[in-house]
Amino acid sequence: MAEVFETINWALVAPLLVIQLILQVVALIDWFRIEHTNGPKIMWLFIILLLNMIGPILYFVVGRRQE
Amino acid sequence: MSLLTVQNLKKNYDGKPVIQGIDFSINKGSCVALLGPNGAGKTTTLRMLSGLIRSNGGKISFEGMSVQSDIRYHIGYLPQHPVFHTWMSGKEFLVYVARLANMDRQTAAKRADELLARVGIADAKNKRINKYSGGMKQRLGIAQAMIHKPKLLMLDEPVSALDPIGRREVLSLMEELKAETTLLFSTHILNDAEEVSDELLLMHNGKIVEAGSLEGVRQKHRVDKIDVSFQEGFTPEEEKITALPAVIRAEHNKGNYHIFVNDTNQARDEILQLIYTEGWPLERFEVGRASLEDLFMKVVNQ
Amino acid sequence: MMQFMTVFKREMLEAGRNFKWIWVPLVFILLGISDPLSTYYLPQIIESVGGLPEGASFEIPTPPAHEVLMMSLAQYSQLGVLVIALMSMGLISGERKSGVAELVLVKPVKYSTYVSAKWSAVSVLVLVSFFAGLIASWYYVNILFGDISLLDLIWTWFFYGLWLLYVISISVFMNTLFKVPGLVGFLTILFVILTSIITNIFSHVLEWSPAKISGYIRTMLSDGSIPGDLWGTALVTIGISALLLIAAIYTFRTKEMA
Repeated sequence: MAEVFETINWALVAPLLVIQLILQVVALIDWFRIEHTNGPKIMWLFIILLLNMIGPILYFVVGRRQE
Repeated sequence: MSLLTVQNLKKNYDGKPVIQGIDFSINKGSCVALLGPNGAGKTTTLRMLSGLIRSNGGKISFEGMSVQSDIRYHIGYLPQHPVFHTWMSGKEFLVYVARLANMDRQTAAKRADELLARVGIADAKNKRINKYSGGMKQRLGIAQAMIHKPKLLMLDEPVSALDPIGRREVLSLMEELKAETTLLFSTHILNDAEEVSDELLLMHNGKIVEAGSLEGVRQKHRVDKIDVSFQEGFTPEEEKITALPAVIRAEHNKGNYHIFVNDTNQARDEILQLIYTEGWPLERFEVGRASLEDLFMKVVNQ
Repeated sequence: MMQFMTVFKREMLEAGRNFKWIWVPLVFILLGISDPLSTYYLPQIIESVGGLPEGASFEIPTPPAHEVLMMSLAQYSQLGVLVIALMSMGLISGERKSGVAELVLVKPVKYSTYVSAKWSAVSVLVLVSFFAGLIASWYYVNILFGDISLLDLIWTWFFYGLWLLYVISISVFMNTLFKVPGLVGFLTILFVILTSIITNIFSHVLEWSPAKISGYIRTMLSDGSIPGDLWGTALVTIGISALLLIAAIYTFRTKEMA
């Protein structure tokens, strides 16, 4: 694995990490402000925090209840 | 002069008639209560008038309105459970609906501020609606219904869902609005109808069973009534009361007897005579006239 | 026009406040760059996972640049369509279900205005997000695989954007038919899948089916010129989308907004 990390051009991968960070932060802000989610609210906190990339997207698409 | 005339208005759901050809008219400047038990068809009627649902026959005509024009310009409607875009502020929402009613930006903003002050929520105008209390939402609901200066303001059960404080707020607001516009509101609570309205449309099973001024309806259905109660634990023979010539019928609950009579004077003498000869332990004897509630019960039980 | 802008602007405001204008473009960008990156690093990934016997040489041919861009489009046709369907499923049906529509539709707003403004609002969001995603994909493809001209990219955006508008039109139509957002989302996806299946079965008859648009885009990218069939398909896609929108307005007008 270490070998792979060395060969990866981090300039190429960095945008992915930045996007993931933005998604996660925005999802968290929204999670704090929103009153109700589909399903238990605390569950979505774990989904946003623990599932990289997919978690925040799932939250926005499925978890967020339209008011 | 009548502002709104409804002729033979009908509505079916799944082939079943829900509104069975109703006729009524509403005079300009009046305040009309559409009264009836739950399921009488009040909401359906209001929704047809508002243009939200279509009728299965009949005619709705508005004073000075051509057949082609959109009735929605003339009416303001507050549904029973108004739902807002709760992420908007009260003012944003009012400006939004004002713009939908074709008002320009400045007029819309001005009118929104005016109405927010008018219904008494100017302090909360920039707060998001999801922070509003039930009474505030209802007042915002009334404001949105009035936004385009409709000739007729229709409120569906405006106070039923509110707590006593919210109820009082909205009722006194309606009392004030009466002076400014023609008001039609539905309710199943008799007190509300008696308190605010001066005209009555009594609805039951999809029909208008009674209409007219509050006083007129009372007069017409004037049934004289004598209330009697006896010492605790005592039960009179009810047949003896109902057998009296001047008595129509009698009801009782918890030891209180409501005796409906033809002629108050004659009945009073007869009943007192009966009580005296029977030696019943009388505690209270009251001669009065039927309340709206009695009328309501009478119509509903028919 | 004023009513149109009113509804349109309110939709935009809502999409801003509930962060749609942040997460939808980001998701499209993610979808755009995931394939160029993973394809580029595929040999290393396979190697590091092991599985190859010692000494065995393993050559994965580097795909041409336009094939990698097509992989990104394939992402949009699956996950992209899914995101569009899910994010637009409550567009009208949600308002009817919650009851907001009651307050809006008692105002003298034209039903056609209401529906078309909502369609436009989603379309702008999706087309902008798709453009951002495509630019991101293009950037990576240019660095890692080889050049694709900006003009080709813009044509790709234009033609494939028509397919996305077709998906949005299906969703808007379903929104006027049903009041349950979940059902609307499901039927939208089903409709898109059916479009592909029917196109596959009757492939020789349905030369200009909307589902064939990405195939012709591939031809365009490899040949360097726009094939006539792509124009035909574009016209058909626009036509069907317009019909769906008209049908949506019609059902919205006739259906009772209960």
